[in-house]
Amino acid sequence: MHHAHIDKFAYQDSAIHRLDARIKFIAAVAYSLVVISLPKTSLSLVLCSLVGPFAVLVIAEIPLKFILRQMIIVSPFIVMLALTSIFYDRTEVVKPFGPFKITTTVGVLRCISIVLKFAVTITTLMALICTTKFNLLLTAMNKLGMPRLLTIELGLLYRYIFVLIDKAQHILRARAIRKLRNLGFKRELKISGAMAGSLFLSSLETSSRVNMAMDARGFDGQFRCISQLKIGRGDYVFITAFVSYLIGLYFIGTFLV
Amino acid sequence: MTTAIKIENFSHKYPDGTDSLENINLEIKKGEKVGFIGPNGAGKSSLLLALAGFLKGTGKISINGIELNKGNIKNIRQIMGIVMQNPDDQLFMPTLFEDIAFGPMNMGLDIDEVKHRVQHALETVGLAKMGEKEPHHLSAGQKRAAAIATILSMSPEIIVMDEPEANLDPGARRNLVSLIEKMNQTIIIATCNMDFAASLCEKVFLLNNKKVIASGPAREIMADEKLMLDNSLEVPRNILV
Amino acid sequence: MHMANELLSVPVALTTSAVAAAGLGYICRKATKIVNSENLALMGLLGAFVFAGQMINFQLPLMPGTSGHLVGAVLLAIALGPHLATIVLSSVVIIQCLIFQDGGLLALGCNIINMALVPCFLGYYIYSLIIGKNLQAGRIYAASIIAAILAMLAGAAMVPVEAFLSGVLVVPFKTFFITMMGVHLLVGIVEGVITAAVLIYLTQSRPDLTVISCNCKPRISKSVFYSLTIIIVVATAAGLSLMASENPDGLEWSYLERPDQPEFAPMIANENKVISAVDEFQARYTLAPDYSKRQASIGTIAGEDIEVSQASAGWTSFAGVAGSALTMFLIWLIAALLRRKPQAV
Repeated sequence: MHHAHIDKFAYQDSAIHRLDARIKFIAAVAYSLVVISLPKTSLSLVLCSLVGPFAVLVIAEIPLKFILRQMIIVSPFIVMLALTSIFYDRTEVVKPFGPFKITTTVGVLRCISIVLKFAVTITTLMALICTTKFNLLLTAMNKLGMPRLLTIELGLLYRYIFVLIDKAQHILRARAIRKLRNLGFKRELKISGAMAGSLFLSSLETSSRVNMAMDARGFDGQFRCISQLKIGRGDYVFITAFVSYLIGLYFIGTFLV
Repeated sequence: MTTAIKIENFSHKYPDGTDSLENINLEIKKGEKVGFIGPNGAGKSSLLLALAGFLKGTGKISINGIELNKGNIKNIRQIMGIVMQNPDDQLFMPTLFEDIAFGPMNMGLDIDEVKHRVQHALETVGLAKMGEKEPHHLSAGQKRAAAIATILSMSPEIIVMDEPEANLDPGARRNLVSLIEKMNQTIIIATCNMDFAASLCEKVFLLNNKKVIASGPAREIMADEKLMLDNSLEVPRNILV
Repeated sequence: MHMANELLSVPVALTTSAVAAAGLGYICRKATKIVNSENLALMGLLGAFVFAGQMINFQLPLMPGTSGHLVGAVLLAIALGPHLATIVLSSVVIIQCLIFQDGGLLALGCNIINMALVPCFLGYYIYSLIIGKNLQAGRIYAASIIAAILAMLAGAAMVPVEAFLSGVLVVPFKTFFITMMGVHLLVGIVEGVITAAVLIYLTQSRPDLTVISCNCKPRISKSVFYSLTIIIVVATAAGLSLMASENPDGLEWSYLERPDQPEFAPMIANENKVISAVDEFQARYTLAPDYSKRQASIGTIAGEDIEVSQASAGWTSFAGVAGSALTMFLIWLIAALLRRKPQAV
């Protein structure tokens, strides 16, 4: 079964991919914090902040089309909320922009700002995910203080999502083949309940076999794992670049606002 | 040759009262490659689970002369590895490397030794450069090989496999056969694929209706057409030649 | 409904993350003692089940074109108990954020609170209060629908509160709150109905399963009870105070340049003290200076200077946009050229 693997680009190799996952994770969180704290109506500054994650994506050779498509897929909720500000704040402002003077409303500015910030933070997140293997990210998060138990759960969860999604697809196909019309709410509900129920049962069965496989290999409730993280020269270069980029952004910010 | 596994009068019932194994007696010598053959629902998988200490029944199971009980189950499992029927059940860690390291880490070995063992197991099954792969990115044949590697890394003396050839294409199956042929551990394979059993096993136990129906050298048992057909099996083509 | 980064201010994001981390850390520490390989594997698989279960949709009555599906909080809480269910749902939320980009990194704290902590505990206790000891179909339906609705609504109510404490949105709190409640009432009913359908299927096909019987009495430990009460009280109070104020986030657009009123002074007078406090905090600790600084300086200069300064501001922002566009193009171009070279050789 082929899945649209969101993380397929994490297996490429580039200077960015080789960076320590901890550094990348912290950088992504810090950068998102910076972006959401940018002033709410300064569009140009938000746009400037797109340069950083963009550069990371380009260096890591992630196709920009992929990023754009993913961004559009997850955007409806936020875009809808952003659009409401147009209707609720009609205070007129004149925004000088180069040779032009644009008359618009605060609501429109806010709407664009929310959408732009969304674009930047999603790009940042994608720049992290597309360049870091999930298991390394987990190790990094664990090293940064995430509870052990949660790390293990995330690992197991990530491992079995694809297995169970396959199963769900088989069940759905089996229904689609035989259910040719709408059967009314009650029957539909009963069928869906049975489908979800049997999926639940097969999760239980799989889990008991996984449990056996763990026990068979001497599992005693204590997860031991080999750390594969190492901070190297590339990481220092990245940290320097990241910090100087933030400082640069700060100076541009004092100019622009 | 010394005895690796001895089962005496073993029976097991499921909690709802149905029998899964009835009065099993058998003996397996060290270094033998043995097949448990039989139709679906014959009790092959149950017997494997019983060997690995997952089914509590009546009777006696001894591994290397040590009787299996609650106290020594951890030690027994270091001697005996089990390869589950579905590799997706066996490979539960995020990467192949971590999965193969799971057993050795639980054995309390030091990191360098673990790494060495993982690398060796990967090379043995022909996945030398795939350590960083995630299980859902592997093909069916690679998953099967990886599942075997997770056991090999624990260097067990006995390896138990439940239908290892299931869902494999002929090419992957041939690879699997040559991999198992090379291994010098005691190997027990449960299968209902007679060609596969015939190409690997020296000795077979025929199971049906929760009982051992027949046992003996593979060539003798599997060439008995009446016995095979009566038990929903068939005479393997590669034994006729 | 996933909370997004952009609807949060830094202080709210940090506070919610801290609360979520503390809660989750506490639960994990407690759970580590009771966890063995059996429920460890079960937790992982049920987490994956939540994802796969969401694919099984069914046609909703009266609403052509829409379909309902399972979210799973109540079902998981019944199967695993609230502590383990919270860990599973939190990991679901984290995976949704990291792998599927639903909800942002900074909103993780909010989402864990809204979608894991609150629904799991609330749903579990409400379900077990109603279900008692008998597993009749009618009772299962009643218990799981009520539990699912309340759990869903409680989680959903947090979203507008968090968004408005951050002061990013302009939608009146009342409108947003009522919309969220309305939508999630529907979602909750669907969730409850399908949870009940699954539970009934399970009791019929596998009566031996103990995981779904929820036979533990609703023992609310004191600490959990107090913290739940505190959360609910704080959330209600925040909601009510936001409801009461006419213009809950009238703060930052008062900072904006207004050409019609050159002497316009930034008014920090906001009816709602909570929001202004949060906003002030934000203004003090953000990286880029907010409007307040600039407004303060504008206030001192004469009328014509304002026009000059505005025009220059227009040029700088133009430069900013053009500059970033050009930079990105250059980065892309250089990368493309560098990449082409080795292939040509």
